[in-house]
Amino acid sequence: MSLEKKDEFDHDAWLKRKDLTAVETVFLTTLIWIDKRLRIVDYLELLETLYYRINLQMPKSHTEQYDLDNKFWYWYPLYSLGSLSVIAYLVAAVSGALLGFYYSPSTAGAAATGDPTAAWLSIEMIIKDLQFGFMLRSIHRWAAQFMMAAVFLHMLRVYFTGAYKEPREGNWILGVILILLTLLFGYSGYVLPWKQLSFWAAQIGVEMALATPIVGEWAAQLMFGGFTLGQATLVRMYILHVFLLPFVVTALIALHIGIVWVQGIAEPH
Amino acid sequence: MTTQHTSTDRTDNTDREPMTDGGTDDAARTDGGPPATIPPDDETPTWSERKERSQGLSRLTYEYFERARREDQDLRQESTYVERDVLGFPAWPHETIRNLAITSFFVGIIILISATIPMYFENPANPSSTPSIILPDWYLYWSFGLLKLNPINPELSVLGGNLVVSHEFYGVLAHGLIIGVVALVPFLNKGNARRPVEQPFWSAVGVMGVLLSITLAALAIQNFFPFELELLFSMSFILPVLGGAITYAVLKTMREGYMYDLNKRYYRLRPPK
Repeated sequence: MSLEKKDEFDHDAWLKRKDLTAVETVFLTTLIWIDKRLRIVDYLELLETLYYRINLQMPKSHTEQYDLDNKFWYWYPLYSLGSLSVIAYLVAAVSGALLGFYYSPSTAGAAATGDPTAAWLSIEMIIKDLQFGFMLRSIHRWAAQFMMAAVFLHMLRVYFTGAYKEPREGNWILGVILILLTLLFGYSGYVLPWKQLSFWAAQIGVEMALATPIVGEWAAQLMFGGFTLGQATLVRMYILHVFLLPFVVTALIALHIGIVWVQGIAEPH
Repeated sequence: MTTQHTSTDRTDNTDREPMTDGGTDDAARTDGGPPATIPPDDETPTWSERKERSQGLSRLTYEYFERARREDQDLRQESTYVERDVLGFPAWPHETIRNLAITSFFVGIIILISATIPMYFENPANPSSTPSIILPDWYLYWSFGLLKLNPINPELSVLGGNLVVSHEFYGVLAHGLIIGVVALVPFLNKGNARRPVEQPFWSAVGVMGVLLSITLAALAIQNFFPFELELLFSMSFILPVLGGAITYAVLKTMREGYMYDLNKRYYRLRPPK
């Protein structure tokens, strides 16, 4: 055994044998130089595989195959409700990130009970003083309403077309979890402006938690930061709304769609 | 990659044979006949072509991939299952452009509505004055309604008449019950029926659930209704049952009536289990 390089890995000799143009030589030399250090070939192959995947022809859908188009086209909008809720979620995410620049989750500033707090004042500033702020908040709220509606209707569509059956039970349960998290998303966002109804909605949440035996007090402290509402409640709802839920819900939506991709869309017969 | 020939041969042999009901397979098929317009894609390089020079573990991996693919192919050739080529709807550009159009339309609607119907912003929180109407957003009305079921909660009390289970806790329990039932649906309703006509009972249950969530929402905003609370309360439970019964009757009739005839050809190919 010798320690000398084997011929097939001698790239210089290979280059010489190839009789390349100047451009080709420079390209290959650069490519080999980078590849020796970063091993980009593997990543290029991933890209190549993706290219072939994307250019694959999609299979004929059930409606196409059985020529049901003339009878079933009016059901199609019901099959886009899932993607519509994702689109609304993305719109809410973008507008929410922009609102986050100006909102401050703080109950400071109220001299007496009923005075405006810093949170309420920051929303008022967004509405009254900020360029495009009124529109921004309006878009965020409406995107949330649209997502809620789309998610509920999506669930009804899945129920009435029996799309939750045999291989898809797990995805149905994942969907139920997602709908609950979406409701929590809406609830925590409802509390943030710290207006009158926000406060009393949070109050009902605390009362529901406290009515539950054994785990109730613990849950109230975890979710609302105590038994009476204040700064701790607002900060917890804020972290829930802008940090925890975005990560969890986005990951679960990705999983939900990934499973649909793997299992295929259940079309009605 | 050579399954193409065997599958077409097999289709040709069986197509003309009469079926038990007197028709032929050709007459009964609804998928538009043998298409075979797009041959299987041979352009994709095999893993061995791409990885011929790899070494060690990766080499072993791709050698295994090749073996697995060959095994799949052998099994496919041996089986009697007739493969049909499909006419495709390309991901690019057709599907992509369609999705972009739908997305822009929907986002446009959101922006239009937020511009024309701006959101109401009310007074700051005041812990010392309870508003006469407390409401969550509309999507939580059903949940709020569940907290107002006091008249039907069983009143268990021992020693001094204190309630063992408070009304609020019954509300929390009702949430758990409803969410649990919804999550268990796939394990309660089995079989491969898909259309509402094929499963009148479960469709009736669904309609009942939808109506119940609506009437619970009405119960949550009871202050807005001009008639007696007791009437509203009774209607909250009568209406869903009524709606479910009507749905069941209608779907049963449809199933016995014209829908089944319309789909006869389909059911001849795939008899309902």
